[in-house]
Parts: sequence; C-alpha cells; structure tokens
Amino acid sequence: MSSETATAAQLRSFVAGRKRRTHLGFLILALVVILSIVVALTSGPISISPQRLWALARSAFDGQSSGQTSPGLARDALVLFNIRLPRIVLALLLGAALGVSGTVMQGLFRNPLADPGIVGISSGAALAAALMIVLGHHIPGVDPALMQTVALPLAAFLGGLTATLFLYGIATREGQTSVATMLLAGIALAALAMACIGLLIFISDDRQLRDITFWTLGSLGGANWQKVAVVAPIVALLLGATPLLARGMNALSLGEAAAFHLGVPVQIIKTVCIVLVALAVGVSVAVAGTIGFVGIVVPHLLRLAVGADHRTLLPMSAMAGAVLLVIADAIARTIVAPADLPIGILTALIGGPFFLWLLLRRNRNIDL
Amino acid sequence: MLQAIGWAFSNGRRARRARNMLPLALLCAACAPALAAGQQRIVSVGGSITEIIYALGAQDRIVAVDTTSLYPAEALRTKPNVGYLRQLSAEGVLSQTPTLMIAAEGAGPADTLGLLKSAGLRVMLLDEQPSARSVIDKIDEIGRLLDLQQPAQELSAKVRKEFEDLDARRKTIAKRLRVMVILGFQNGRAMAAGRKTAADAMIALAGGINAAGAMDNYKQLSDEAIIDAAPDAVVMAQRGDDDVLPASIFDQGAFKATPAAATHNLIQMNANYLLGFGPRTAQAAQDLMLRLYPAMSPAKPATKP
Amino acid sequence: MTALVSARSLSYAIGGKTLVDNVSLDLEAGSLTAILGPNGAGKTTLLRMLTGELKPTGGSVWMGDETLHAIPAWRLATRRAVMTQAASVTFPFTCYEVVRIAMQSPRRKAASTNVMDETIVEAMAAADVLHLAGRFYHTLSGGEQQRVQFARAICQLKSSAQYGARQILYLDEPTSNLDLRHQLMLISAARTLAAGGLAVCAILHDVNLACSHVDTVVMMKAGRAVASGRPADIIDRATIRDVFDVDILVSEVPPPGRPYVLPFTRSVG
Repeated sequence: MSSETATAAQLRSFVAGRKRRTHLGFLILALVVILSIVVALTSGPISISPQRLWALARSAFDGQSSGQTSPGLARDALVLFNIRLPRIVLALLLGAALGVSGTVMQGLFRNPLADPGIVGISSGAALAAALMIVLGHHIPGVDPALMQTVALPLAAFLGGLTATLFLYGIATREGQTSVATMLLAGIALAALAMACIGLLIFISDDRQLRDITFWTLGSLGGANWQKVAVVAPIVALLLGATPLLARGMNALSLGEAAAFHLGVPVQIIKTVCIVLVALAVGVSVAVAGTIGFVGIVVPHLLRLAVGADHRTLLPMSAMAGAVLLVIADAIARTIVAPADLPIGILTALIGGPFFLWLLLRRNRNIDL
Repeated sequence: MLQAIGWAFSNGRRARRARNMLPLALLCAACAPALAAGQQRIVSVGGSITEIIYALGAQDRIVAVDTTSLYPAEALRTKPNVGYLRQLSAEGVLSQTPTLMIAAEGAGPADTLGLLKSAGLRVMLLDEQPSARSVIDKIDEIGRLLDLQQPAQELSAKVRKEFEDLDARRKTIAKRLRVMVILGFQNGRAMAAGRKTAADAMIALAGGINAAGAMDNYKQLSDEAIIDAAPDAVVMAQRGDDDVLPASIFDQGAFKATPAAATHNLIQMNANYLLGFGPRTAQAAQDLMLRLYPAMSPAKPATKP
Repeated sequence: MTALVSARSLSYAIGGKTLVDNVSLDLEAGSLTAILGPNGAGKTTLLRMLTGELKPTGGSVWMGDETLHAIPAWRLATRRAVMTQAASVTFPFTCYEVVRIAMQSPRRKAASTNVMDETIVEAMAAADVLHLAGRFYHTLSGGEQQRVQFARAICQLKSSAQYGARQILYLDEPTSNLDLRHQLMLISAARTLAAGGLAVCAILHDVNLACSHVDTVVMMKAGRAVASGRPADIIDRATIRDVFDVDILVSEVPPPGRPYVLPFTRSVG
C-alpha cells in the first residue's frame, strides 16, 4: 500500500489504484454478504438443501396456490420463514449496527480500543438486566413469560440509555463534551456496575444465576419478526446517518482542534454519534444480550485492509459486521445441534484469532 | 381434510384465516396417522419428567431430552440433546419433528416457547415445586398426556404410599438432627443449601432440621456461620461418583468444630437422586432418613390397629 | 492596507492566572507577521484566540466587520487555516489522505476529483512531501509530519472559493522540527503566500529566521505585547535582553535593513 510517489503522475496512479482497490473491496464484501446469507439459510439442525430453499422461495412467491404442499415442505417453510429468516435478518441488522458503532466509537474517542459499549451501554444494560432477572418478580403484574419477552429487553434498553446519559452529563461542561472524561468515567461506571451485578448474583437463586450468565453470553435464539420490526428502524437510522458523519470523523482523527479549524461542528458530531450508537447498541443488547468483539475487531480488520478513511470504513463495517454475525449465528445453530450455542462465545472465538493473525502479518500499521 | 382446506381457500373472505391454520392443519395431518398408531414423538425437558417417562416404560416415545435429564444415564447417552432447560433452541426442537413437548415450568426462553407454539407444537408446562404433592401430580399429568393412565396410577400410588410411610416414620423421631447439605466446595468455601431449595425440602422430608436454614438459596458459608449452624450431620450432594474422605472435611477448618465432626458424620449422596424431585424422591428421603437415624429399622413401622 | 484580522485588547485569564494581557494587533493582507517571545509568554494562547479556538476573556477579534465568534465554524474555515504544532493521528491514514481531509469539510461544494487532486499535488509539492503521499502518516518523522500539515493547511485555503481574497494562514511553530533546508523552504513558501495576498501569522522561535523574512514582528513577554513593528525597527539589544533575558549582538546583513543577532559566547582560554 505504501509507495514512493515522487511525481504528480505517480501520485495520480497511486490514488487511482487505491480507488480500484476500494471498489473491489466493496464488491467482494457485498458478495460475501450474499454468500453468508445463503449459507445461513441452509444451515441448522433441520437440513434444508439449496434446492429445497429455491422451492420454498418459489412457493412463497406463488402464494401456496394449490394447497397440495407436502407436510415436509410445510414444516420446512415454517422453519425457514418463522424461525431461520427472522434470525438471519436480526443477525444482519445487529451485526451491521455493532460493526458501525465500533467504528464510530473508535473514531470519536480516537482510540483503537474503544468498543460500542464504551459509552456506558454495556454496563448499564447488564446491570438493568441483572436487576430485572433477580428482583423483577417483585414488580406487580409481571409474570415470567412477560418478563422475558417485554420487561427484560425494556429494562436493558433503558439501563443502557440511562448510563449513557449519565456519562454524557458528567463529561459535558459548558456545552463541550470531553471524550477523555467520558472514557474514564465509563471505566468507573463499568466497575460499579460489575460490583452491583456481583451483589445480585450473590442473592440470586440457581435459576436466576443461569439466566444472568446466559444473558451475558448473548443469543439470537429468540429472534422473531416482532423483534426485527423493533430493531430495524433504529439500525436503519444509524446506517443512514453515519455516512453523513464520515467526513467529520475523518477530520476528528486529526484532533479536535484541527477538526474545529477545518470547520467541522465537533460538538454536534459528538452528540449525534453518542445518541445514534446508544440507541442502536441499546436496542441490540435489549434484544440479544451482550455480543462482544464484533465492535472492536471489525473496524480494526477493515482499517488494516482498506485504510482509515471513514467514508469507506463505515459502510464496510456494516457489511463486515453483518457477515460476521450471520456466520457466527449459523455456526451457533449447527455446531452442537440440536442445542444452541450462545453467540457471544462464537464471535470471540472467530474474531480473536483472526485478528491476532492479521496483526502478526502486518505488525507495523497501528499506532497506539 | 385437504379438501376442506381447498374449499376454505376458494372462499375469499375466509382464505386468510385458513392460510394461517394451514401449517397447523398440515402438521396435524402429518401427525394424525402417527398419533393414531400411538406413536407420539415427545421432547422431554426437565430431569424429573424424563425420569417419569422412563419409569412408565414409554422411553421409546422420547425423541429428544435436555441437559438436565441425568437419570437414567442412557437418556442423555442415546437421545439427542436440545440444550439447557432455560435456553432451548426452537429449530433444534423442531428438527426432531416432535408432536408434544413436556417441559418443567421454567423452561425457556419465552420467545422460543412462543415460536414452538406458533409452529403448531403442543407444549405442556408442569409445575416444579419441591414437594411430594408436586411429584405425584407430575406422574398423573404425564400419565394423562401419554395415555398411560394405568401405569401412571400404579406408579403414583406407589410413590404416595412411600411418602405416607415416610410421614409415619418421621413422627417416631424423638429428637431431630441438624443437617447441612453441601453442594461442594468453591475455593475452599462450602456451598450450603438454605431455605427455598430442593435440599431444604428433602431435609424436612427426612426428618431433620436445616442447619443452614437462616439463609435462602445456595450460598457460601463463612467459618463462623458453619460453627453457628452446628450441623449434627453433613450431607454432600455429589455430581459424580468420587468418594470424599470424611477426614478431608472434618479434620480441618470450621467443620472441625461442629458436632458432626465428633463422629465424622458425612453422608454422601448423588445430587440428582437426592434433589431431582422425581419418582425416586421418597426413596431418597428414606435413604437419607435411615442414614441420619441408623437406629430406625428399614422395615415398615408397625401400623396402629 | 486593510487589516484582515484585528485583535483589540485581547486578554485571557484562567484559574486566576492571566496568560494574555491586553494585546492588540492587526494582520494585514499581503503581510507576514511573526510572534516572538520566550516560552510561556502567551504566544500560543494568543494564536488560539486569533484562530477562534479559544474565547477571549477580555477584548475581541474582528474579521472585517464581524467578531470572530459570530462566524460559524464552517464559514470561518473558508477564511482561515491553521497549522498546529503536534499533530498525531491515531489511525493509519496515508499522507495523501491527511491532506485530502482538508478538502472534505462540510458544506463545501465537492470539487471534481481531478481539480482536488491537482490542488493536493501542488500543495504537497510546495511542502516537499509529494514523494511521501503513499506513506502512512504515523511512520513519518516529526519534521515530515509538519510539512504534511503545512500542505494540508494550504489545501484548506485553496479549496475555498475565496482563495486569495482576504484569507489568513496561521502557523504555530512551523519550523520547530524541520532541518535547515526545509525551514528556509517553508518560510519562503509562507512569504510567497503572503505576496499572493494572504495574511500569514506565525509563531517562531528563531529570531534570525523571523528577521530575514517577516514584515512585522510582535514581541511578547509574560502575556503582554512588548513591542511590535518592522524587524529593523524593534530588534535591538535592549529589547532582546528585556524579552529573552539574553545578551546578544545585533548587526545587519547586506542588503541593509534586515538585522541579525549573534549571541555572545564566552571564549575558552
């Protein structure tokens, strides 16, 4: 990627080469996304071959006109459209949200170690979830089923947002947000949340303890179309708004003062980024528990591969995050079938070693 | 039935409702011939439920179990495992083409159960209170679901009798012992069972007093708490079959100062057997009782005329 | 000559300490101004107030008939560019990308890529960093990074439609890491820009460099502007001793009119 460009002509060809690589990168990523969707559609404890998949898709379009479908096809259709498809769509949405959020947070904090939950979302959501799991039965009118489908996600979402608001309030003085303060306060908040969760674990019974553990590991197992409907608009907002922020974030990489001198509305960008990420990650954590690693690994991998320009990095993070989560979920459904492995385990297992390998290969390109 | 569906489709207004019923109808259509032959396909979720089905001799109808189905051992060995009771996989369950799922109350997650129900699977949740009543009710309910009322009645009658014998014996206990049930040691600290646990119920059934009854759920006990609890007997509920040397517990630490240490009164029992609250529960309680009060004869007590 | 930027009675105090005390100066179009002074004299604080980064606690900065803080950041960015001291970039941007960032600011009509690239090429050539375009910024030496920042500042100015008309370039110690050749190169480039109509204002440490190239010198000490004017007028032994606390010999280089300073050295033996 680096080259001597002593003449204008060389510079131009270098730039053109970079552009070609970027376009190629987009194309490859798009293909990988489609491929991963197909793989995910055909994997699972119930085997649905690609031919079957095609037949089901066709019958869906034709609208079951004959009613003479075989029971096997009907069952497969059910599994595909009511169980697998919402799960895959949810994985795409959450993966994209986490990937983009990671990039945004790393750009905002100018820190390659930032993850989407750094603004307090993870700690706040985890604490709220633990509170609801252990003490939720005291709330009148909340039965166990309602608890899991509505109360718990709602609590997690609100907990994440509250924590973010709290951190934002601490870090913002006279209309200026100090990201360094937010980072440090976030660490303190995380420690506090961990301590409180520890207390809750201590007073929990066996069942609640298991629930907290599984929630922390994250799972897409409960995916249905209602959840997709809740998540989709917020993620769409995030994905739609972030390209507009790309240039501002590029400028921010040079430092806040330099960004100001370049005319970038720094405080507005900070606030918008924090709000968007808090909403998107908050809703993903509410719906699927904490899924780690996607938000840290994806931006890094992409930076190593295509450079740090946010205009390409942001959309690519969405695609790469989506691919990672879809594949991880497909593996989660099949590797210990008919049981279901929590997805947080897999994202770490996939993301970690790959990241290490990439670092070892090109060990000079990160400046901490 | 297929003709009926076709007719429903041809009536525009009712077409939508019929379409929604289509999956359910087709699944039933697929199952009807199977059911007629008495071949249910059951997913059994919950250790005691699996145990009861095996006890009724209907294990052939089970197509999948969960991770808590530890007894009999062949259950997990020979049947597919759909995961932990509270984290089931919808697709995993459906991949076994079940007709019925019998689950302990607390199975989940709720969304997955919802998905299974909307896929047309019949899901029955059974109460899981640690009590004699609950065990008997479970047996009867499962007997109803499996259409095996006769064997179920025999089994539940037997279990009921065992509990009644237990009650009678318990009345003959002059002085109740203080019992502590330990699940194991974590970093050298004992994990004891307080109130609101299956262990607590078992201690009561066996005619003892829960020495750790000052707290709820399973907790680690401090040295002072152990001495304060002053158990006359320590029951170790084990997962595996390893023998624990009584000396290793009583010769050091806080346990040395307990009344149980005087006679190295350590009772080791299999955790699933002791705490599972299945058909063997009365037996387990009696086992525990006899080991606590060895003076009691294992024979039936004389019934009052 | 019209003053592009007018600072009137600028003061900045924080935490009980006054960093800049009642400084007034004008930046004229077509002139190169140097701010000199010892460490801690308030030079950088003054510059930050002039660029709009800091809000003065006393006095105000005028650009034309508007105060600086009435101008929104994006519009201000079309009028002035700043080359800051230490600019470290966390992420692996190439030098080309760093320079190009200056042309991507909000509300700027995106020029065609060719025009953009032309501008970038010219700016990087002027800063003698064209050959580094493909290298990663963070792998460069401090001096090379500084030159890239200079190119970026030039690009920012050129990308605005008001190029050449009433724009200001601020340089904060632009030569601190540069070798001799590049020091001279940069200050000549600044001179050329000034000759083209810009107002250029630089904080410099090298008194000789200032004397030989700038039109106006502002001497600062302890937050005050002690003296300001042409180098020939204000650089003398007494002023230097007063401001820098150093005893020097001031002389003149042919052609006459440009002073230079030589510190006394104690000869051994």
